[in-house]
Amino acid sequence: MLENIALIKEVHELLATKEAQAHAIEYLRKIHLESIGLKRLNQCTSIEVFYVMVIRAMMAKEQTIFIVTPFFLIKKLAEITPVLEKLALLNKEQKNIIILDNLTNQSHYKGDLCNIIK
Amino acid sequence: MILKFFEHIGQKTTDFFLSVYEALQFTALCLIHMARPNSYNPAMRMVLIKQIYFTAVGIIPLFIMMAFLFGSVIIGVVIALATQYNLQSQIGSIIVTFALNEFSPFFTALLISLRSGTAVNTEIAVMNVNKELNTLKEYKIDLIDYLFLPRILSGIVSVTSLSILFAIIMLSSGYIFTLFYMGMDLHTYKTLLANAVGVDNLVILLLKSVAFGFVTMLIPIYSGLKTANAYTAIPISVLNGMVKLFIAIFFIEVLSLVLQSL
Repeated sequence: MLENIALIKEVHELLATKEAQAHAIEYLRKIHLESIGLKRLNQCTSIEVFYVMVIRAMMAKEQTIFIVTPFFLIKKLAEITPVLEKLALLNKEQKNIIILDNLTNQSHYKGDLCNIIK
Repeated sequence: MILKFFEHIGQKTTDFFLSVYEALQFTALCLIHMARPNSYNPAMRMVLIKQIYFTAVGIIPLFIMMAFLFGSVIIGVVIALATQYNLQSQIGSIIVTFALNEFSPFFTALLISLRSGTAVNTEIAVMNVNKELNTLKEYKIDLIDYLFLPRILSGIVSVTSLSILFAIIMLSSGYIFTLFYMGMDLHTYKTLLANAVGVDNLVILLLKSVAFGFVTMLIPIYSGLKTANAYTAIPISVLNGMVKLFIAIFFIEVLSLVLQSL
């Protein structure tokens, strides 16, 4: 997973592998997932893969991140609140995070602080 | 009926030349990227090291064993035949030409194709079907720099270095057979080889190894890229890639024989 995250900075900012992986581990540590750093895709749970995808997106220069149907990406996710809390922890660069979901999942977002636009 | 027949032939011919053109375009693109210094970013270098490890280092125990088994038997047969036809005076150049120019690069290319060519073809095909290549493109990661170039370079480095290793093992085995068939001592054998080896032999060995290494990775990569969007298309892609690769290896071998005979 570390290589997967570090790749973006290695290619776009020409960071050395060690340096780019240090950035990656720093992000993983924020959400207490540093243990998955050396794991392969098939060794991770769907929520771990989801956070790796988000961190990888945060490594890119683009200011807006779209997350499409998180309830489809993460298995057995009951509510979005824990995910939103972790996204807030990760988002040190204050990027715009937009979640796109189906209206059928609307109930999962009730009571959360995110803006819902229909 | 006749018109349809000619239309069919025309379509097939156009498709063939178009695919050849596309393949040549892809080859040219890879060569351009190979020459560009900024293709060699840290991520690419990391993949290159891993690829060389998987392609050249991981195979060494099996390769040495196979080189001893096949190399020794074949060089033994060549020496036995040379003795049978009273070609003892030419034995040095026969061994050198056979081991360095012909058998070592050819056998190494076949082995690397079977082991790494198939793996690379499957890997790229799976990445293509799973849309992983699209994800990399979305992140503006150059596929040639990150995925293809390290594999092509590892193919060149691996086939060249393993060919040299194979040639050394084959020439060493040659001594055992000359000792038994001709009663030749080690010093005479070494002198015989030293006199027979020319720069042209080494140049041929290197050029052939580089050419074999290049196609051993390029063709499987191209075949993997051309995989249709279904898991069932992956074995077909590997099958097509391997057939094309073997044709290319035999083509290079025949071309080198023709060029050497000129």
